[in-house]
Amino acid sequence: MHKLFRWAGKWWPGIVPLVIMWGFAAWINTAPLEADLASRSTAAVKDTVLDRTRIAVDGRDVTLAADAFSEEGRRSAVIAVEVVPGVRLVNDQSRLVAEAKPFVWTAERDVVRVTLGGSAPLPAAKARLVEAARRDLGGVEVADRMTLARGAPPRFENAAHLLLAQIARLKDGKMTISDTNVSLSGMARELGGREAIAAALKNLPEGFSIAANDIKAPPYVFQANKDPVATTLTLTGYVPDNNVHATIATAAARKFFNEKVTDNLKASVGAPSGFGPAVVAALGALSRLSTGTLVVSDREVKLSGDALYEGAAAEIRASLGKDFKNWQYKPEITVKPAAGPVDGTVCQQLFSELLTKGKIRFEPKRAALDADSAGLLDYLIETALRCPNANIEIVGHTDADGEDAFNQALSEKRAQTVMDYLVKAGLPAGRFTAVGYGSTQPVAGNETDEGKAQNRRIEFLVR
Amino acid sequence: MSYLLSFHWGWLVGALLLGLAMGWIAVVHRGRATSKVVAIWLSVLAVALVAAALARVIPGRAGYWLDLWLIMFACYLAGCAVGSWLRDRVVSRTAPAPEAS
Repeated sequence: MHKLFRWAGKWWPGIVPLVIMWGFAAWINTAPLEADLASRSTAAVKDTVLDRTRIAVDGRDVTLAADAFSEEGRRSAVIAVEVVPGVRLVNDQSRLVAEAKPFVWTAERDVVRVTLGGSAPLPAAKARLVEAARRDLGGVEVADRMTLARGAPPRFENAAHLLLAQIARLKDGKMTISDTNVSLSGMARELGGREAIAAALKNLPEGFSIAANDIKAPPYVFQANKDPVATTLTLTGYVPDNNVHATIATAAARKFFNEKVTDNLKASVGAPSGFGPAVVAALGALSRLSTGTLVVSDREVKLSGDALYEGAAAEIRASLGKDFKNWQYKPEITVKPAAGPVDGTVCQQLFSELLTKGKIRFEPKRAALDADSAGLLDYLIETALRCPNANIEIVGHTDADGEDAFNQALSEKRAQTVMDYLVKAGLPAGRFTAVGYGSTQPVAGNETDEGKAQNRRIEFLVR
Repeated sequence: MSYLLSFHWGWLVGALLLGLAMGWIAVVHRGRATSKVVAIWLSVLAVALVAAALARVIPGRAGYWLDLWLIMFACYLAGCAVGSWLRDRVVSRTAPAPEAS
């Protein structure tokens, strides 16, 4: 031992090359050592959920700056770096992500893009939301303005994904989750979209509730256009279902005795209540116009066109929609310029033509006029107005069903009803006589329903 | 520690070899040895540096360089001790022979 001290007194000259060696070692190794520690520290915190992780190494000291989503996660990240071999000190600059109160998440759609905003709970959840938006919207730009925050309600992500899946159904609008309250506003892209969204919202995860659903449906539009030149009636737009479709088609065929009905209607949900009866009534008004357009948009009914004579115009304006509450009616009825007068022969010809194309209908076994005949009656009145000097005999016939006396009375009453209608429309009563022949003058056999239908008729004879 | 050793092993081997050489020479060196006072002061300095390193009071790169210096110095000293001991064995085995003959 004594010797060792003796020798040690002479070891000092080696210090000089050792210092030089140390200088080189420090110079050469510092940067690689720092890089190595940085990469291994980064790997160590990779499995911890952190945001904005920045790792800086100075010598063997690691500065860890990161946003953590729980105190536990934050601590485990620091410990993970501390136990990396070679790390001397960890300078902990990590912090917890701010807690959002209330926790608000939004998805907003406008013409060109979908903007995701508000708070998302975790980076992975945020990425999944953006990815889901891109996938669901194929091609629409998705802007991610979400920030990360703590405080998301349980099952937040499920709720957000459910809403995102609905955003494709919106033309524009906004969906918001505020804590557990879901509110929606905007306009559905298509008819039925609003209902589909409402149905989907029933599957919201437990705990979430709908605070407001102000999604509006696009207007429910039904259009009918009567073209007297092409003698067509074109129906376009929507009907709620096949039953209403059939009802409207049947009513159109009965009311428009002269026109060919072109049916381009499509079925869709979202019709206002009372759609069918309102449309049928409005079609009745349209059938009385010489030319006209009917546009039903939601609960607004717009009827424009030319009535056949002054009285009809006033009557259409007054009667339109009187039976329907909560519907708005906008009649824009003008009167067709009166056609030139003609003599009795031509009048007779015109009457015959009209009554060949259409039939004046009555309620079964009664003398009350069927509303579907209003259009035909208007044309008959217009024609009668063109030959002011002709006297006209209105003749009623029935089929052979039932007793002759009843049929005779019925035919007379029906003829009288038509005459009263004409007089009420402004024609002088003196020009008309009402006659009934019961079933004595059939034009077809009474064996078939078709034949009977032909026998039940009103004729106009110019005398 | 093991990380430092494995990361710098080349340099540490160099320091050890330097120490071996210096220790080998020191046994037969006729030059002046350090005085006792200087030796004590140097020891105190060494202890202070080790204490500073263990307490991790020197931050950043300077701290790393201190650690590096201390382990290189330790290897050097170990090399010196082994070198001197070996030389002493060699010298003491050959020297008594002429006396005996």
